[in-house]
Amino acid sequence: MNRVKVLQVWLCCVSLCRFWVSHAVPLDCKDETGSLTHCTSISQEKLLDRVIQHAELIYRVSEESCTLFEEMFVPYPLHTLRNQAGNMCHSKPFPIPGSKSETQQISDTWLLHSVLILVQSWMEPLLYLQTTLDRYDDAPDALLNKTKWVSDKLLSLEQGVVVLIRKMLDEGILMSSSVIEQTLAPNDGQSPEVLESVLRDYNLLTCFKKDAHKMETFLKLLKCRQSNKLSCLSH
Amino acid sequence: MRNSGAVLILTFIANLISQAAGVSPPGKPRLTSCRSPEKETFTCWWEPGDDGGLPTTYALYYRLEHSETVYECPDYRTAGENSCFFNKNDTSLWVNYNITVVATNALGKNISDPVEVDVVYIVQPKSPENVTAVVVHEDQGPFVKVFWEKPRTADTRSGWITLLYQLRVKQEKDKEWVEYDAGRQKYYNVFSLHPGKYMVQVRCKPDHGFWSEWTKTTYIIMPDYLSKERSLWIMVTVFSVFVVLILTWMLNMKRNSVELCLLPPVPGPKIKGFDKQLLKSGKSEEIFNSLVIQGFPPTTDYDDLLVEYLEVYDNEQQELVLDGKDLSEDCIKSKSPSNCDSGRGSCDSRTLLLEKCIEGREGSGSDQHQYSQHGETSWASTESSESQGPEPSSPESVDGRVKTWPIVCLSPETQPYHHYQVGGAKPAYHSVPEILSHLSPHATASNYHQLHHQDIPPQEGHFSKLACSHSQSYNQFNLDGSDTPAHGVPPSRSLGYVEVQRVNPENMLLLRPLSDPNRELEGSDCTGEDYSKVKEVTSNNILFLQRETSHQCVDNYSQDLDSQADQCTSQQPPHPCKPAVHQSYSPMPQEGMRVMGNGYVDTTVLMPSY
Repeated sequence: MNRVKVLQVWLCCVSLCRFWVSHAVPLDCKDETGSLTHCTSISQEKLLDRVIQHAELIYRVSEESCTLFEEMFVPYPLHTLRNQAGNMCHSKPFPIPGSKSETQQISDTWLLHSVLILVQSWMEPLLYLQTTLDRYDDAPDALLNKTKWVSDKLLSLEQGVVVLIRKMLDEGILMSSSVIEQTLAPNDGQSPEVLESVLRDYNLLTCFKKDAHKMETFLKLLKCRQSNKLSCLSH
Repeated sequence: MRNSGAVLILTFIANLISQAAGVSPPGKPRLTSCRSPEKETFTCWWEPGDDGGLPTTYALYYRLEHSETVYECPDYRTAGENSCFFNKNDTSLWVNYNITVVATNALGKNISDPVEVDVVYIVQPKSPENVTAVVVHEDQGPFVKVFWEKPRTADTRSGWITLLYQLRVKQEKDKEWVEYDAGRQKYYNVFSLHPGKYMVQVRCKPDHGFWSEWTKTTYIIMPDYLSKERSLWIMVTVFSVFVVLILTWMLNMKRNSVELCLLPPVPGPKIKGFDKQLLKSGKSEEIFNSLVIQGFPPTTDYDDLLVEYLEVYDNEQQELVLDGKDLSEDCIKSKSPSNCDSGRGSCDSRTLLLEKCIEGREGSGSDQHQYSQHGETSWASTESSESQGPEPSSPESVDGRVKTWPIVCLSPETQPYHHYQVGGAKPAYHSVPEILSHLSPHATASNYHQLHHQDIPPQEGHFSKLACSHSQSYNQFNLDGSDTPAHGVPPSRSLGYVEVQRVNPENMLLLRPLSDPNRELEGSDCTGEDYSKVKEVTSNNILFLQRETSHQCVDNYSQDLDSQADQCTSQQPPHPCKPAVHQSYSPMPQEGMRVMGNGYVDTTVLMPSY
């Protein structure tokens, strides 16, 4: 009797193991239709949603960083002296639409490319900003962390936009090409006047904030266009 | 040079004149705010300064961020007084506008401070529209669903602007609003509202911008309802009340038994034989009389006790009946038979044990004499000749010996007995005849009567007298008693016993201490090692005790038996060391002391009286 029982148990175990082994494959992905597809890539809509979320988050953090910097280092009367002559945001190689009407007139391709250019143009300045902020005596940790975080997130945003371009436009683009010349050269090591450097950094932060908002808006417009082109163009 | 000088002088004069006249150049205007409702257009408002008494015109100029071109406001009317409206074409996002306002009047102009504006950050949408609130009835209870529409101008559909909504609710009587965040959705369900009239308002905000104004109040009336939870509680309450009522009713029915259980009746104090009515009557005499127990202390029963207790047989055929029953009955406070020594010094006074009879019974071992005594089994002072020693604890008959306990011994435990004894020799004397009378069925009665105690002078502490009486009785007993009283058989343990040698015609018992060397058969230790002999009695009635170690029984027992006194003296301990006892005989010891034969002190007498 005992021998028979042992044999039964062993057979059960073996069969169970076979089942487990047979199921030991990666799960198949399903799209909305419910059919099994191979999980190789993410859908376009989800990708766009994620890119938009990224852009929103970047903007929010950049806004907070700007506010922090403003409170800490910029004297109050100078708040209005942003973007005065000489302290302008760096220009882009090709014109970015500046209004809704302009934005509505450009095509998807241009929208995406605009976003990509914006993202790529800010890679280096953010790195520069990190180094300069470290030089401040009592820069709050939150500010430093935020700028660091933003530069990281910008990288991932760039990757997402590249993928999106490839998907939507079927174009292949080289990533992180430093096509754009930076007007802002890294510091030579000299310690400039405090106020000058403060204003310059402040200018950088505000410009970045604007560009982040631009990215966010463009992506959202793009999303609308993906779903329903006609309704987006109305109004 | 002259012209400029002239102009200066003229303006100076003009100023003076204007000041005198009350007119002046305009004050400085101030830009109050710029707002964009949908991120496509925007409006700026300014506040005019002092107009200086003259009609003043205002102009708004702006300059874009990266150009030096100055533009003037395209539209002064649309937005109202002192405002500038920038339409879609003129609005550029993500660029800074440098806006200034210039006030001009006849005398001069004044420029306001410049203001930097980026349209993206000045967005304040209009309020949401068509706020509607309805009551939805569901199983859990009714709730309010609020829904609205976006402000007309905001283009959220294309994603150009993203709006977040917020609503607030308040009852009219409440002080503060309760705010709820609805996010990007355009509806909201409000739960847990009390019945009554509610006010609802909604507002919105772009993801980065300013909050809009609250909408106009929308009213909603919440109906009365009974929540399931509350109804459940009501049911539970009713049920519990019902249960409590039933329990109370049951308790009420079983009131008595519950009372008994919880509050058992406390027994009132009771004294047996005591009638509470006496207390009520209030007569103390009666009360105290009732408290008195008849027959306590046992004064008159002494003799009876003795009589009941002791049965002495003198006849060998007449077996001494050991009244075991009497033993048990009378010996209430008796100690164990073996406790011969405890507390009863008199019991140890074996000197009182009359062995005269024993002597006469020498050789006879057939007699069975039993003695019963207070508190212990009969002192088998008599024993067969074959036996080694007496067995005090054995109730068996001891042959050959007839002994009567001295009175002292007979009632050893009871204090009153002792005292009674001390107080008066009466019981002592009583006992003897009573004993004899009790034993009359067993022996000749007439003989006993001779031993009436009345012949014996009651003298306390007179050992000799007592002894004489005892010996008298004993002797009498001997005479009348059996023919073969085993007098001759002395107890081997008889320490300090007095043996009745013979009875003289005067009805005197001639005693002889047991330490008589004539008693060869005894071979006993006359004087007990553990007894303390009286060495000397002083005039102060102080007894000097002496510890005896010698076993020799010096028998100074005089054979003079003629006189009582001699008899008594004969009872003196033969020890050379204590002649004092003999001497002390004359000054008889006071009350409380009784010197027995052999100098043994009856310590029972020494017990303090009450």
